[in-house]
Amino acid sequence: MRTLLFFCAIFISIAIYFGLLEFLTYVGKGETLGPTLGPVIGYFILSKLLEMLFMALFFMLLFSSIISALSFLFLDEELSILMASPTKIITIFRSRFILMTIDSSWMTMIFFAPVFFAFATAMRAEALSYLLFILFLCLFVLLPNICGAGTAVLLSSFFPVRQMRKVFQFLSILVLTGLVFFIRSLEAEKLLNTKHFEKVSDYLLSIQLPLSAYSPSVLIHQSSMHLFNGNLKAAFSNIFPLIIILVFGLLALNILASKYYRSAWQFSLEALDNQILGMERLRKILIWPLKYFKRDFKVIAEKEITTFLRDPAVFSQIFMMGAIILVYAYNLSILPLKDIPSFYSKSTNNALVFLNGPFIGFIISAISMRFVYPSISMEGRAFWSVKSSPISPQRIMFIKFTLYLFPMLILSLILCTITNTLFEVSHSYMLWLSYFNVIMITFVVTSLAIGVGTVFANFSADSALKISGSYGGFIFMILSGLYIINLIILELYPMYRTTFFKNNLDLGYASPSLFWINIIIIFVCTASWIYIPFKKGLNAINAYEPD
Amino acid sequence: MNRTEPIIRFTNIQKKYGDFAALKPINLEIFKGELFGFLGPNGAGKTTLIRILTGIIKATGGTVSIGGFSLEKEPESAKRMLGYVPDRPYLYEKLSPLEYFDFMGGLYNVKQSEITSIGEKLLKLFDLWNKRNDLIESFSHGMKQKVAMSAANLHKPDILVVDEPTVGLDPKSVKLAKQFFKDMTLEGKTIFLTTHTLSVAEDLCDRIAIIRSGEIAAIGTLEELQTKASMPNNNLEDIFLKITEEENLPKAII
Repeated sequence: MRTLLFFCAIFISIAIYFGLLEFLTYVGKGETLGPTLGPVIGYFILSKLLEMLFMALFFMLLFSSIISALSFLFLDEELSILMASPTKIITIFRSRFILMTIDSSWMTMIFFAPVFFAFATAMRAEALSYLLFILFLCLFVLLPNICGAGTAVLLSSFFPVRQMRKVFQFLSILVLTGLVFFIRSLEAEKLLNTKHFEKVSDYLLSIQLPLSAYSPSVLIHQSSMHLFNGNLKAAFSNIFPLIIILVFGLLALNILASKYYRSAWQFSLEALDNQILGMERLRKILIWPLKYFKRDFKVIAEKEITTFLRDPAVFSQIFMMGAIILVYAYNLSILPLKDIPSFYSKSTNNALVFLNGPFIGFIISAISMRFVYPSISMEGRAFWSVKSSPISPQRIMFIKFTLYLFPMLILSLILCTITNTLFEVSHSYMLWLSYFNVIMITFVVTSLAIGVGTVFANFSADSALKISGSYGGFIFMILSGLYIINLIILELYPMYRTTFFKNNLDLGYASPSLFWINIIIIFVCTASWIYIPFKKGLNAINAYEPD
Repeated sequence: MNRTEPIIRFTNIQKKYGDFAALKPINLEIFKGELFGFLGPNGAGKTTLIRILTGIIKATGGTVSIGGFSLEKEPESAKRMLGYVPDRPYLYEKLSPLEYFDFMGGLYNVKQSEITSIGEKLLKLFDLWNKRNDLIESFSHGMKQKVAMSAANLHKPDILVVDEPTVGLDPKSVKLAKQFFKDMTLEGKTIFLTTHTLSVAEDLCDRIAIIRSGEIAAIGTLEELQTKASMPNNNLEDIFLKITEEENLPKAII
């Protein structure tokens, strides 16, 4: 299984790398702006994109490191044993700092590495530049972690650490949501379209200016640009201030830790977590309709909604997901297809509508990974109370499936309606097909999330983020993607017959049969994709023996 | 107590983890209205047997019958007869005790009015009424234990299964819990408990079984155990140590 996951991870990294490289190469050439101006402006855009990426990375790491620092430096159960041991407090701090740096950065680094390498290749960097870039990136990643650890130690000396962790988890999601909107609001695509050129001429004049002078993201951005262009001397002179900042940062953190870490840890033990954040009214509204449902469904659903709303780390992700949905809808609304009459046709629009269902499927998968996939694991160590009760495992899984299917279906249908309106779908067949697709995908994705989430359940994980970011979450995303591809392939023939070429080809006798066989296969496949993960999950829950 | 009517019957129950036999075939009957103590050294298999009884884990072989219902064939009916208090009371931390009661009561299909009245009575009994709306995450081990014990009794089970009931409880709560168990047996309920606090077992239990390395080494009333161990005037601690052979350990280790 690990080998399979490893190869899947490699495959996804390669896909990100080549997909982005294709895009960046296109942007870098700036073909729509002509052979002279295009590459010049294209280069500026690449540079600006890279700078924005570093800025996003810095903020993501900063918040992630504060949350990790609060966990690793104050909340970890091992700390009581370490603190009672004859180890020096500063040694404990240093070892925990290394652990928190790895914990807060590894996933972001793995995701960003192929992205940065795509930039390097698009700018035709030399082999040595890639190696040096990894070193530069490690230095850059260290800085937000120093800031995060320092902030955590200082704040924990004065405020209850458990509440702070919640607040920062909440804030980090809000900041990321803001970043999604900010980056989208820059409307980089307008730079490639001459129609918008007058409007953006002012922006072009300022494009070479950094977003914020002397900020760490600007230092790494400028040194990376020099590195990718083969100017090593300039690259090193630009990274040098960052190294100085790091050295001073580490020294300051060391002094801060020697002075405050022990007392802050002591204070963290005294601050008990017992606040219901102000979501009670919303909770009561959401659980009110449940009184009309069967008793076991009602209590399990109530418990799910209550624990969801009382965990800021989980519910705050709704903002992030909301931002992604809005950006997706906005992207569709500004698709410049109609600006290119030679390319745009009714068939093109139909093809896009056909592909829109699967795209919505990917959004639904991403949302399910965050909210549905962890639902069984989030029962946590309290799962004994359900397992020893008269509720059968089938019933538990069925209730969870139904409970999450409902909001997921509503969301996918809303998304489908909005996007169909944006596409101005006139063909009723395509309209109904898009709804059919999202309904099928939502059923399968929800079943996969519950089933795979049960097979890979981690009842000892303390946060939904950890659960969804685990190997099982990865497998869930791969399987969701495979079903969506499966659905597209199976629908290609009926689409081909009924929509694109129905007036051009003679259907004959065989074709209607093939058409209906295909439809039956779609239903059988979808039913299998729903049933098999559910059954596997059921077997896993039956075999599971809580601690 | 009616010794002709076993309410729990283990028949050839065994549990293996790979080649390791955590429970060798165990045959045991517990009678209606009995307060049955299940003792044994660490790792002897007490909790494993309890977890099989509550349906949390599955036995590798054998059958369990609860109130005439087979745990394997009619798990829902069998489990409905049980209330379970685990040794480590992991609860839903983001719920308050009252919300947790609603949840547990709902799983056993207890009427809302009964959940409210029984929950209030038990929380008041265990001095937790003023904490009824606080989140469980802020509770100490002992407080969680009391919430778990209250929740296990919401559906008025015929059998209460309690794993280490006194761990983490203060002396007042231990006294309360002991009286609570005695009152339950007076109402005809059966209690199956494990404990390392031998004085509790000695005070409370009608019969005691001592398990050693996955096998029942001795079973009977305190007098029967004294006779079996040929220690007529000794207390349960001496008998326990003899039966589990811990008294033969070198003095330096003890």
